[in-house]
Amino acid sequence: MIANEKDIQAFVKAHARLHVRGRGSKPALHQVDAPALDLSGLRGIVDYQPQEFTLTVRAGTALREVMAALAEQGQYLPFDPLLADSASIGGAVASNLSGSRRHRYGGARDFVLGASVVDGTGQAYTVGGKVVKNAAGFDLAKFLVGSLGRYAIMTELTFKVFPDVPQFRSLRFRYEALAAALEASYALNGSRFELDALDIVPGAVGAELLARLGGFRETLPARVEGFSQFVSKATAPQQVEVIQDESSLWDCLAGLNGPCLAKVTLAPRQLLALDAALDGANRRYTLAGNSGFVACEDAGWLDDVLARHGLRGLLLRGDVPCPLLGLPLENVLAARVKATLDPLGKLV
Amino acid sequence: MNRRFLGALSKIYPGERLLTRDVELLPYESDALTAFQTKPGAVVLPENADEVIATVRLCHEHSVPFVARGSGTSLSGGSLPIADGLTIALNRLNRIKRIDPQQRIAVVEPGVVNLHISQAAQPFGLYYAPDPSSQSICTIGGNIAFNSGGAHCLKYGMTSNHVLGMKVALADGSLTEFGGESLDGCGIGPDLVGLFVGSEGLFGIALEMTLRLLPIPELYRTVLAAFDYLGRAGDAVSRVVASGLLPGAIEIMDRLAIRAAETVGANYPDAEALLIVELEGEALQVEAEFTQLRELIEDSGAFEIRTAQNEDERARIWKGRKSAFSAVGRLSPDYIVQDGVVPRSRLGEALSQINALKRSYGLEVANVFHAGDGNLHPLILFDGREAGALRKAEALAGEILAMCVELGGSITGEHGVGVEKRDYMPAMFSEAELDIMLALRQAIDPREIANRGKMFPSGEAPALKMQGMHPLERQGLISRE
Ligand SMILES: Cc1cc2nc3c(=O)[nH]c(=O)nc-3n(C[C@H](O)[C@H](O)[C@H](O)COP(=O)(O)OP(=O)(O)OC[C@H]3O[C@@H](n4cnc5c(N)ncnc54)[C@H](O)[C@@H]3O)c2cc1C
Repeated sequence: MIANEKDIQAFVKAHARLHVRGRGSKPALHQVDAPALDLSGLRGIVDYQPQEFTLTVRAGTALREVMAALAEQGQYLPFDPLLADSASIGGAVASNLSGSRRHRYGGARDFVLGASVVDGTGQAYTVGGKVVKNAAGFDLAKFLVGSLGRYAIMTELTFKVFPDVPQFRSLRFRYEALAAALEASYALNGSRFELDALDIVPGAVGAELLARLGGFRETLPARVEGFSQFVSKATAPQQVEVIQDESSLWDCLAGLNGPCLAKVTLAPRQLLALDAALDGANRRYTLAGNSGFVACEDAGWLDDVLARHGLRGLLLRGDVPCPLLGLPLENVLAARVKATLDPLGKLV
Repeated sequence: MNRRFLGALSKIYPGERLLTRDVELLPYESDALTAFQTKPGAVVLPENADEVIATVRLCHEHSVPFVARGSGTSLSGGSLPIADGLTIALNRLNRIKRIDPQQRIAVVEPGVVNLHISQAAQPFGLYYAPDPSSQSICTIGGNIAFNSGGAHCLKYGMTSNHVLGMKVALADGSLTEFGGESLDGCGIGPDLVGLFVGSEGLFGIALEMTLRLLPIPELYRTVLAAFDYLGRAGDAVSRVVASGLLPGAIEIMDRLAIRAAETVGANYPDAEALLIVELEGEALQVEAEFTQLRELIEDSGAFEIRTAQNEDERARIWKGRKSAFSAVGRLSPDYIVQDGVVPRSRLGEALSQINALKRSYGLEVANVFHAGDGNLHPLILFDGREAGALRKAEALAGEILAMCVELGGSITGEHGVGVEKRDYMPAMFSEAELDIMLALRQAIDPREIANRGKMFPSGEAPALKMQGMHPLERQGLISRE
């Protein structure tokens, strides 16, 4: 069992190829034919300073544990990592998977301050810093967000965290067509409302816009009222509903059943064309249509659809050798980083 | 400069955009860190990305070092020319190509001035959030190189948090794009935008960037609180942070900085320390937060509290803070602006150490800081006409940085390493860390021509000169407001 940095260094030195695994919550990422470096034993909160808004934690720590420690102090990870019940914090960062609440303040990249790593040569060092603001040196900590363990092994991560809001209210707006729901999200983008989350959910007919407001208990009712009036007036929904038991609404993967599940990164302008091509697949768009989750039967088919639309996807569940879908990721800058951090190409 | 190289340059640029005569080069000899001055071999003024690309390729081919330059407001010598190298001045690449209010993005060229983006977005109810005090003059290319911040970075982050995509010419002339129009940025795969932002011009030149815009807050609530003891202002910050409020800005100024601000007519209360806290957002929410904030500040022992009742009063509160740097220039012939970070809870400790240091050096230090994120800006006053004064001020600055690292912080929060702080890099990073950064730089720029001599320790030191005004200031082209 890998329990510390030294174990990792030894593992890297002992293997010609290896594959990093956190807690394995995204099976499609682990169908690689290489020995797995299992980080699930590398756990624990190293340092948490609520008054500094900073948290340092070992990479294999269960997300649930991290989130619970923060919640005790009224704080949270604003990038809203997905799969809280099964993922590790390192895996959440390496796969850059965020839920709907990412809408308010940003993604993992916006909250990772620094990391301790072991690179492909077995060298251990830290990148980035441990304070909320730091402009010294190259920001390799940000680079590692989304890097899928292919450039360096993150052993410890330092985050900026924020105070959480005391309460939420959520609303559902129904539209006769997806285009109308998208238009409505555009109207909200130009408005003064600061939403905690804004998702677009296509239905069998039409689509829903799900919005979440967070803040003080005393002000929420009036804010919800004002928001609801604005949306009704500006976008003419067919139906408006304030959801009472709202927290379950925000499990953005709920109901996305099917053998394959993927995240897609897109711009809202690409949404309608993509959605038409996805016809039939279960899907939900988060981040006001800038990110999407698609469940389908066949990953090859999705790969093809995404490539045709000039988009990229990441398979979380499904049976394919490579989880990267759509447009190839090759990039000259990334290749040079790879040549520096993992010259032998050990990390796959 | 090599004749063949100059000859090739003159095929790209007409004479008026290829500067080689001494008088033409003078305004480019330094940036806002005027202690360092170097004459470049030549300066070119490209007007489009193709010219920049051709120039970078030529530099690579001839192994001529180059430095990209925006408005030259770097405070760390980042845009200081390289002796006999080429300065590529990007101010003419200043087109805002597109504002897309529906997607809340702007696509711009690197020479666009920071504030112009917010001005262009304003009719749509949007703005570009990072607000360095130099925002009316500094360029987005410079902001990207340094991951610049401002007073309002606590809640929404620095430049890096607002860049979604980029087109870049790497130092060897290869072109690449990453990220795009999605608010998810790079989204899938490593965050190349995050890596490029803050690379201080050592990887190449950013040619185009897609930026995230935010809705202009419905309401700002700005409070100015006066304290008779600096430590009390610091305690007030801790209380605000512990309360669960997330203000857009938390700033502190000490007595000398307050006095300086008076020279620009700030009209602040006569105090040992001033605290500025600003809440922003939806009106109903902000009003409720404000009630809580006011109670916190009243309980923290402020002897005077002012609240901006309108946009005018808000601007007045900020004016003194935003012009603090230039105002200090009116108190002293010369000064060094420092930029270090400490953990927020150790601000008090840091300030008493700065006090002790300034006494032992016999120098005056004015303190202005982004208290919300522990980012100190000590302004070290001295008279450059006195022999050895600059060296002494630099030595004090160095001790302050060492202290920041010791307290667990950083040698720079937003001004970058540049030339000024490169020798402090080993205080903050281990040899292995520096080695990997250098290896990365060499993999990306094998000839080490992009902004050579910056960020990494060693490298020959350019001569320290007398202080004084920036060449552009002397010409009346810029001012430090
Ligand atoms: C009065 C005053 C107040 C200031 N206040 C703040 C503040 O509040 N916060 C803050 O963070 N900074 C502040 N600064 C520092 C400075 O304004 C910032 O660092 C700014 O981002 C520099 O922009 P510039 O256009 O002047 O860049 P320059 O000084 O011209 O260049 C800065 C660096 O960027 C590189 N560069 C420029 N363009 C590109 C490009 N297209 N691609 C790659 N590299 C490029 C240069 O090579 C150089 O290394 C202040 C400076 C002054 C003088």
